Amino acid sequence: MNPYVLSILLISLGLGTTLTFMSSHWLLAWMGLEINTLAIIPLMAQKHHPRAVEATTKYFLIQATAAAMILFAASTNAWICGQWDINQMSHPLTSAMTMTALALKIGLAPLHLWLPEVLQGITLTTGLILSTWQKLAPLALIIQTANNTHPFLLTTLALCSTLVGGWGGLNQTQLRKILAYSSIAHLGWMILVSQMAPQMTIIALITYIVMTTAAFLMLNNINSTKIITLASAWTKAPALTALTCLVLLSLGGLPPLTGFMPKWLIIQELANQGLAATATIIALTALLSLYFYLRLTHALTLTLSPQITNATTPWRTPNKQPTLALSLFTIMATCLLPITPTIFTLMT
Amino acid sequence: MTPTHFSFTTAFILGLMGVAFHRTHLLSALLCLEGMMLSLFIALSVWSFQMGVTNFTPAPMMLLAFSACEASAGLALLVATARTHGTDRLQNLNLLQC
Amino acid sequence: MSYLFCMWLVLLILGLVAVASNPAPYFAALGLVVVAGAGCAVLAGFGASFLAVVLFLIYLGGMLVVFAYSAALAAEPHPEGWWDVSVLEYVIFYLVGVGVAVAYFSSEWYNYLLPVVSVCKEFFVLCEDVGGVGVMYSLGGGLLVICASVLLLSLFVVLELVRGASRGALRAV
Repeated sequence: MNPYVLSILLISLGLGTTLTFMSSHWLLAWMGLEINTLAIIPLMAQKHHPRAVEATTKYFLIQATAAAMILFAASTNAWICGQWDINQMSHPLTSAMTMTALALKIGLAPLHLWLPEVLQGITLTTGLILSTWQKLAPLALIIQTANNTHPFLLTTLALCSTLVGGWGGLNQTQLRKILAYSSIAHLGWMILVSQMAPQMTIIALITYIVMTTAAFLMLNNINSTKIITLASAWTKAPALTALTCLVLLSLGGLPPLTGFMPKWLIIQELANQGLAATATIIALTALLSLYFYLRLTHALTLTLSPQITNATTPWRTPNKQPTLALSLFTIMATCLLPITPTIFTLMT
Repeated sequence: MTPTHFSFTTAFILGLMGVAFHRTHLLSALLCLEGMMLSLFIALSVWSFQMGVTNFTPAPMMLLAFSACEASAGLALLVATARTHGTDRLQNLNLLQC
Repeated sequence: MSYLFCMWLVLLILGLVAVASNPAPYFAALGLVVVAGAGCAVLAGFGASFLAVVLFLIYLGGMLVVFAYSAALAAEPHPEGWWDVSVLEYVIFYLVGVGVAVAYFSSEWYNYLLPVVSVCKEFFVLCEDVGGVGVMYSLGGGLLVICASVLLLSLFVVLELVRGASRGALRAV
């Protein structure tokens, strides 16, 4: 793609999210979401092969429908209450409709079916943008409208997401689909506390973005999109392979790594609110997700013993990709747990 | 609920159901999206008239501009799909199924 | 509320039923034309003559022509109209749904259906909406810039999407 066009698209991507962040009026928020959708479409379809175009078409249809639903809910709210403010979405019907539309936009569980398919059809770099930057604007709207939404809807969406995110990933051999299901599961954790403690949602979002960026960059570096190619990754980059295991376990939420922090804080918050049953269910569904991260780790480390392979050794050709972002995000994705109090204080 | 409110709400929900249920062609899904946008246009402009908020009248025009952008992107995707898949039938978009 | 206005509202819903019931795009575009015409008439009924003209010119003139052109390009030898059984099922389903909704909500409509003497709108020299749209060029300048930039962006989007992998090919796979 032409660098000028690419820069215009990336600037528009930033402009859309910024518009949604700074708006208090539903129309402007809707405009930001639309700009976001329009700007990512050529990035998704830049390869022009059938899978990319199909993924782009599906993404476009879903996002356009969700944006139209959001604006419809806002205008209905304006008809009933005469109010366009995002914070004052007070009618229960319209706030439920907005939350459903936003859930469709980021791919929460009963409305998640498009996300694995779309992520499967695009490149890892675009997939990284799709699963991090594109979630920011809808999540900002979710945090602002969560106050007026019925808690039952939020809890249902969240528990469905963690369950489906764990369950759906079990059967997959494609890494991008696994990462899509992992995104669904993490979004479920964020939504669950968005009403009682929005700062927890932001902490969970930041840690998720750090971890998933590290995972996507690593997969991009060793250039693998299937589990089977992970098994020979140690011949290309032995140190990176060891770190990939740690990042994947961090995504799964194992204790000494960063990924444990949001889960810990969220479960603590749920216990403080007296929601023991919800906390138990969500902790149990995290085990489902942990299974497929462990499976990836198993494929990365344990299936091939150190031996003389018959294939040509890929490490003979030096890897020239820039690794600054990769190393930064890897460090953050593995070592941030000890400074949890700092992050928590910064957020609250 | 006034009759006008009822009619464009019904129109929007009909368009939404049209997108959500079974669609044969990509083009007809895009047409349903346009129908939804049209009912939103009517909703916004009639709102600003009923409430007497004259300053809100530019909003439907902005909505029209954005829906034009959306429609153009949709039609471009229609062309791209017709090139890669050979047809615009939505049943052919099955390469990425789980 | 006059008979004519009610008829436009009914036509709006019927047009969307015609679009949503999954006929061939050839006929669905026709349904959307009906909807756009009815919506234009509804707006004119409210006195929003400028917005009605904008809707008619831009929507019907600009976008629907493109849609009709695409529909004509994708035309099949035997397009499914509303008389085919599969489409007719949808039409009947949607009409029954609309009928149920009307029956549920229509109890409140008695007040609105009486003829109301309109409040001396004729004495205003300027339409309300013309004055309102003028705000777009003064206070709403930022929004105007955003709209212009998104139109430019969509130009790039369309050009990037329809450009083939091998440049200029009619059918590049």
